[in-house]
Amino acid sequence: MKSSFKVIGGHVLFTLNIFIIFLLLFENLLVLPYWLKAFGRMHPMMLHFPIVIILLSMILEYFRFKPEYVAQDFYQKFTANLLLTGALSAAVTVIMGLLLSREGGYTGSVLQWHKWTGVSIVFITSMIHWSRHLGWYRLQVARAAAIITSLCLIAAGHFGATITHGDNFILSPVTSAEKSPVPFDQAIIFDDLVKPVLEKKCASCHNPDKVKGKLLLTDKESILAGGKSGKLFVPGNPEISLLLKRIYLPAEEKKHMPPAGKAQLTEDEITLLHLWVKHHGDFNKKVIELPVKDSLRVLAATLLKSAEPFEEEFDFEAADQEIVRKLNNNYRVVYALSKESPALAVSIFNRSTYSVKSLEELSPVRMQVVSLTLNKMPVKDADLKQVSQFENLRTLNLNFTNITGGGLKDLASLKHLQSLSLSGTKLNFRDLLQQMRSFKSLNKLTVWNTGLTDAEMRQLQNSNKNIDIVTGFKDDGSNPIQLNPPSLKNSSRIFTEQLSLDLKHAIKGVDIRFTTDGSEPDSINSPLFTNETILKSNLTTIKARAYKEGWYGSEMTEFTLYKSSFRPDSMLLLFPLNSVHQANGPKTFFDREMGTFNANSPAWANNWAGFKNYDMALVLEFKKPVPLSSVGLNTMVEPKTGIYPPSEIEIWGGEHKGAMKLLSKLRPQVPAKESDHIIKVFESSFKTKPVSYLKIIARPLILPDPKTSKEKKMLLLIDEIFLN
Amino acid sequence: MEKNILEHGLNVNRRRFLSRLSLGVGSLAFGSLLIPDLFRSGGIEDELYQPGVPHFAPKAKRVIYLFQNGAPSQLETFDYKPKLCEMQGAELPASVRGGQRLTGMTAKQASFPLIGSFTNFKQYGQSGAWISDLFPYTAKIVDDLCIIRSMHTEAINHDPALTFFQTGSQQGNLPSMGSWLSYGLGSENKNLPDFTVLLSRGIGNGQGVYSKLWSNGFLDSIHQGVQFSNGADPVLYLSDPAGMDRHDRREMLDNLAEMNHLSYQEFGDPEINTKVQQYEMAYRMQTAVPETMDLSKEPDDIVKLYGPNCLVPGTYAANCLLARKLSENGVRFVQLYHQGWDQHGDLPKEIASQAKDVDQASAALVTDLKQRGLLDETLVIWGGEFGRTSYSQGKITHDNYGRDHHPRCFSIWMAGGGIKPGIVYGETDELGYNVIKDPVHVHDFQATVLNQLGLDHEKLIFKHLGRRYRLTNVSGKVVRDIIS
Repeated sequence: MKSSFKVIGGHVLFTLNIFIIFLLLFENLLVLPYWLKAFGRMHPMMLHFPIVIILLSMILEYFRFKPEYVAQDFYQKFTANLLLTGALSAAVTVIMGLLLSREGGYTGSVLQWHKWTGVSIVFITSMIHWSRHLGWYRLQVARAAAIITSLCLIAAGHFGATITHGDNFILSPVTSAEKSPVPFDQAIIFDDLVKPVLEKKCASCHNPDKVKGKLLLTDKESILAGGKSGKLFVPGNPEISLLLKRIYLPAEEKKHMPPAGKAQLTEDEITLLHLWVKHHGDFNKKVIELPVKDSLRVLAATLLKSAEPFEEEFDFEAADQEIVRKLNNNYRVVYALSKESPALAVSIFNRSTYSVKSLEELSPVRMQVVSLTLNKMPVKDADLKQVSQFENLRTLNLNFTNITGGGLKDLASLKHLQSLSLSGTKLNFRDLLQQMRSFKSLNKLTVWNTGLTDAEMRQLQNSNKNIDIVTGFKDDGSNPIQLNPPSLKNSSRIFTEQLSLDLKHAIKGVDIRFTTDGSEPDSINSPLFTNETILKSNLTTIKARAYKEGWYGSEMTEFTLYKSSFRPDSMLLLFPLNSVHQANGPKTFFDREMGTFNANSPAWANNWAGFKNYDMALVLEFKKPVPLSSVGLNTMVEPKTGIYPPSEIEIWGGEHKGAMKLLSKLRPQVPAKESDHIIKVFESSFKTKPVSYLKIIARPLILPDPKTSKEKKMLLLIDEIFLN
Repeated sequence: MEKNILEHGLNVNRRRFLSRLSLGVGSLAFGSLLIPDLFRSGGIEDELYQPGVPHFAPKAKRVIYLFQNGAPSQLETFDYKPKLCEMQGAELPASVRGGQRLTGMTAKQASFPLIGSFTNFKQYGQSGAWISDLFPYTAKIVDDLCIIRSMHTEAINHDPALTFFQTGSQQGNLPSMGSWLSYGLGSENKNLPDFTVLLSRGIGNGQGVYSKLWSNGFLDSIHQGVQFSNGADPVLYLSDPAGMDRHDRREMLDNLAEMNHLSYQEFGDPEINTKVQQYEMAYRMQTAVPETMDLSKEPDDIVKLYGPNCLVPGTYAANCLLARKLSENGVRFVQLYHQGWDQHGDLPKEIASQAKDVDQASAALVTDLKQRGLLDETLVIWGGEFGRTSYSQGKITHDNYGRDHHPRCFSIWMAGGGIKPGIVYGETDELGYNVIKDPVHVHDFQATVLNQLGLDHEKLIFKHLGRRYRLTNVSGKVVRDIIS
């Protein structure tokens, strides 16, 4: 019987080993049927067998090669069978454990350690079982194997116990265990925030066993009593309190606390102690008794907050999907908070389609709605009765609705309501103040732009300390900012006969002051713009500023407007344009499209016609003679990038093509290399002449190239020509 | 004799081998019973993803992303490095650079002189965060912000870096973050698109933005970003052409839908239904968009809050105000781009002007959301595509220097949407060159944003061309430390 146990047992052990390897490899893919779960749950019961059996067999294995035992047949057989039994029970236990760990709720490094030590026990004992009768398996090997296996057993057992009973289970009655985080609403400032800091960073020297400086920091009375140098703090006055003084001293100072070499306080801890003293060093105050925006409360919130994300669980059933689908339409969206959650959020849009029916229809899902957005809908006070049906509502947005506060009493039944937004409504302060008491869970209320006065908002906050009252931004006139300059709204800056100037400013009630004589406009002497200014000159430069009560006056802005009385019937360029500044060919000069700076960037180069290697020679023809007295070339000048005015402009004209005469000749000044960029009109004026044919010649400037000292032609850019 | 014993062992082993083999196979077979999907064709199928519903309860319902296009310098904004001022002009130690590849713009520079910020920093708020003097308004709301100083990315040039931030890949053609959110969360207001885009530019050196940044990639085209422009028609081709009234439009759409329905019955292409939905939404947008874009009813306090430019269409301030209005009306993802942050040279002048463009309005947006009770459910993000070098590009003069692209560290901030307020996260070394504490990779950032909206970045997947795609590709870890 014994030999058959050995054979069958060996086969079973082999099978179980393979099975364990399989489970380990495909662990993440396993899906357990319920009956296997029951099997897995027997792990905590089964595990006691391998511990005892293997431990016993390892003791026997350790002494197996002692001469007196080698001869004993029973000793040898018993050890062999005990080992096999142990290995088998270990394998079964490991399989159960692997199945149990798939049930969820088990994570972390302790589990990993437990798993791998457990699995190694099976593998090691199996290896011992299969190799213990081979030639190389002698005394040393047996002893080493016995010790390693025993250590693994102890380790696996320890990790397993940690998973079941928690860390430090055995010693916890002896040492004081780590406290679990205190919920925010129960936390006491001293006990849960200040005291742990003192214990961690100060108590090693200021405790009953070691009272340095005759100061004890372990209980309330001693803290109040202070030490050798006097009282520890002056309530409400951290600046003159000994505690903070010592902390703030530079670290090199002898009296700096904690002393050099000891763990120092963190920024947060120092702030905490500072604020605690500022709050009169109270020992009993709770964190939630502090005003919402209090610095200490804000700090406490971050210190007490657990790292795990918090997801509210709802105790109501999910609504029927089909009903939810039907409640959705183009102006009302009803959607699940998340895949698993029964809670719904509702947003309603479009003023013209809203009516109280939009809310009434939601009654099939009244349990499930936790968030409702009615922003800008014409909701009346009476409609709030419909809102009160959503008894699980957490967030309600009534911004810019038509409510006045009278209907808020209907919301009193919403005992879960946490956030209420009333910004932009015409609230009645009395109604609001009265209703605030009935909102038990409310922690945030927005009342921006509601017509409440500052005093009323303060009263609201003072009587509701636990609620964050968001008052928002209100311009009290104490921080004036600068207006932006006015803008020119005329569709084109080029006109034919006359132009009614159109200056505008986006902000209502702004005064625009302007000049046309080149002087700087100011708020007193310069004329006020009134839409009545008519421009007739060839060239007018408008300088303008915007002013308004409660604002600083704007920067000056400048616009140039151009008159161009005549448009030629045909135009021809005798020489080609510069290859990258083709613009719209000869038509460019009369298309009333102005160019801007940054001419070498292709997107903005379109309106500039360029000349470099060839002169500009433009011939214009008028079907009927026009009385011409001036020709202006609108030119960009940007010496830094090599764009210069022409060296010379010649205007030729006459009534016949073959008989044109020189009307004018102009030599623009050469600007300095460093001068700033500018867009400028070079205007040639002459005595009025009837003209049917006109020839304009402009020659690109030639300058010596500083690198090669050869002569180089400069780029000439023209976008418009004005004929008057 | 010994040979016989050996022989015997072998004989036994052969038999044992076979019997053991059968036992082993048997145990494997038994084990395989526990894996129901093991032998099903196609291997282990993913849990069927149901788009439009978050995986878990979200903290935020909407996102407003204030993208500072061109990459603002962290060293003149949120990452205070006094050491750089002390060491001004000194050479960047090779050990700090660590053989990092540089862009073609400074790789050939003979020296890399360190340069400190031209502007001062001060500490603000409970958190004592250091903010540069260029951001006085942001400094005032610092207790609502979570400043991350340890962002790092993989790309060193604008377009790949932007594309990486928006789509999780440098190459493009994948869905943008806003499209993923639209896909994952579904619509909150069926009268407006889920994903809208607003553009503005400052006078600083600019970099392009391209519509591929708000592409839906392989997702359904209803998830594409819709660009709102600043002209008379905020959404192009939305208004009825001259001579067509609402009634005619309705009739036309009804007839068109009928024809499309017939065509769907014939071909069964789901894109046909998408198209019908889009026509219908465009019809509703014809009233919803002008109502949303109307700035004339905003109270005076709002104008003061955002600054006077908020009424000038096309400015960053106006876009911030619009972003609030769109978000308030249920738009899931509002993407702003402000161009002009690429300060390779002339940094002091340009960055001051850029900061002036965005400071007041960005802070105003946070304040405005807060006073409407919406900051809790809206995540606001401010930041560029990478950082800038702590050495100067080009010569340092008294009031002029430049900074090249720097992917190893940069600063962004987030506010609202369940992000811890009033904290500064992560740290860089004294020279502002490497992250030394709590690094946040772009994929970590994306995972965190999705997490705040109730989406598990490992489960928000779409199968396309035979593989499963995620916004975070194959990496990314939610930054739990900044979540409240």
